[in-house]
Amino acid sequence: MSAGGSGAAAEAIPQNKIIAFGVAGGLIGIYAAYFLVDMVGQYMSFIGALGAICGMIWGAAAVRRVASYGLGTGVPSIGMLALGMGVVAATFGLAVGGIVGPVIALITAAIIGLMIGVIANKILNMGIPIMEISMTEIATAGTITILGLAIAMTGTFDFDVVLPQVITTGYIAVIFIAGGLAILHPFNANLGPDEKQDRTLMCALEKGAIAMVVAGIVATVNAGASGALTILIGLALWYIGFSGYYARVKRDAYVVVGTGMLPTKEELE
Amino acid sequence: MIDIAGILMENILYVILITLGGVLISWSVHFVPVGGAPAAMAQATGIGTGTVQLAAGAGLTGLVTAGAMMQISDSMALVLASGAAGAMIMMSVTMIVGTWVYAYGVGCPPASAKVKYDPITKDRQDLYVSQGTEGHGLPTVSFVSGVIGGALGGIGGSLVYYALMSIDNGLALPELVGIASVFAVGIFFVNAVIPSYNIGGTIEGFHDPKFKRWPKAVIASFIATFFCALVGVLAIGGL
Repeated sequence: MSAGGSGAAAEAIPQNKIIAFGVAGGLIGIYAAYFLVDMVGQYMSFIGALGAICGMIWGAAAVRRVASYGLGTGVPSIGMLALGMGVVAATFGLAVGGIVGPVIALITAAIIGLMIGVIANKILNMGIPIMEISMTEIATAGTITILGLAIAMTGTFDFDVVLPQVITTGYIAVIFIAGGLAILHPFNANLGPDEKQDRTLMCALEKGAIAMVVAGIVATVNAGASGALTILIGLALWYIGFSGYYARVKRDAYVVVGTGMLPTKEELE
Repeated sequence: MIDIAGILMENILYVILITLGGVLISWSVHFVPVGGAPAAMAQATGIGTGTVQLAAGAGLTGLVTAGAMMQISDSMALVLASGAAGAMIMMSVTMIVGTWVYAYGVGCPPASAKVKYDPITKDRQDLYVSQGTEGHGLPTVSFVSGVIGGALGGIGGSLVYYALMSIDNGLALPELVGIASVFAVGIFFVNAVIPSYNIGGTIEGFHDPKFKRWPKAVIASFIATFFCALVGVLAIGGL
């Protein structure tokens, strides 16, 4: 049983591997960007966006798993919840943490997520067996997305830089929507009886690459980060994601036909 | 490292106010007539979108109008009143335009299938409900309920923002506005989603049987917002 119904989703890649990929990839991306920008140069800020993409793919996989049980409301709501919890945790972690800020942010996100998962099952009686673990995953993935994209925009997670350059300027809203789309959209777009994990996750990669390009465009106006490489790698990843997604759509479709151009007015008469 | 206990003791009032604001947003969602996709196809009453979007809309409008009022006054009562008025206007405009579309565009009369007589106007409803639908449009009772929901959501949103802006800190005003808005938006979204899981789809307003479920969402929001409030107060108070 796959999407839109009630029951666990079929998985080609086990969720544990995706969790490891998301946490490790996300943290490596965030810290590598931080240190490499210091040591090598500001153009290394693109690594932060790669970390964010790991988080987005993980988030999309977690949304897919929990939304397969049927939430009773739209799939997008869970993505908004992810970014809502994520933005609270990320801001808190960076504000109090210093160099361990991202780790504190992830721990805070995990606690908030776990708590909301427990509330959803115990108080709201949603009765989804994996709600607790999924909410923890989704909140943490949302936090990695926000941190990674913020670093790609500024080249650092030092709060004295992130606050004026990302939050006060309002670019945080771009992160919120672009990152949120990458987490909530893939399953929403692909759900149905023939939903497949690799197709959904490829869609997440494609959406993540768009967020990366946007982060690169913002980085061009910030002194600590360089946008050119972020935009170029983002475009390359988008091409890989889009062609990979298109190939999987063709694989899963019964038949793909060209309809030709719309008939002209004369031809209709 | 920051002085966690000291900051919390100093700002305990704001933790309480933020929690109260979150609870109000969560409660307000139950008043707003949400119809989702069925309403967009005139097969259920309410506004044709989800609870999350409407709660976020009411909360964010409250934030914007509260922010405008805070530029000229520090009075909490005025800030809350402007937040409530802003969100009520936003919700009313959304509902009246929706009603025009249903009445003149789709061509169906606003009618509820949940009650036989409208609790406010006492008008007969069942005669006007199309077969196979859950009602359509926004009958008077749903409209009034939505305005109440807007007021509560706006008060909740402006209360969260006002409390976050009042915490003692060493930030410049633009940076404080930025970080307070980000926290407020995060708290809105958490409190918009929790009641939507409680309602699970559509609700007509305070006369809908699902309205009786609101205590569960309010308790859930209380716990979740309390934690978010601690995190927010610590982050802003420690800067």
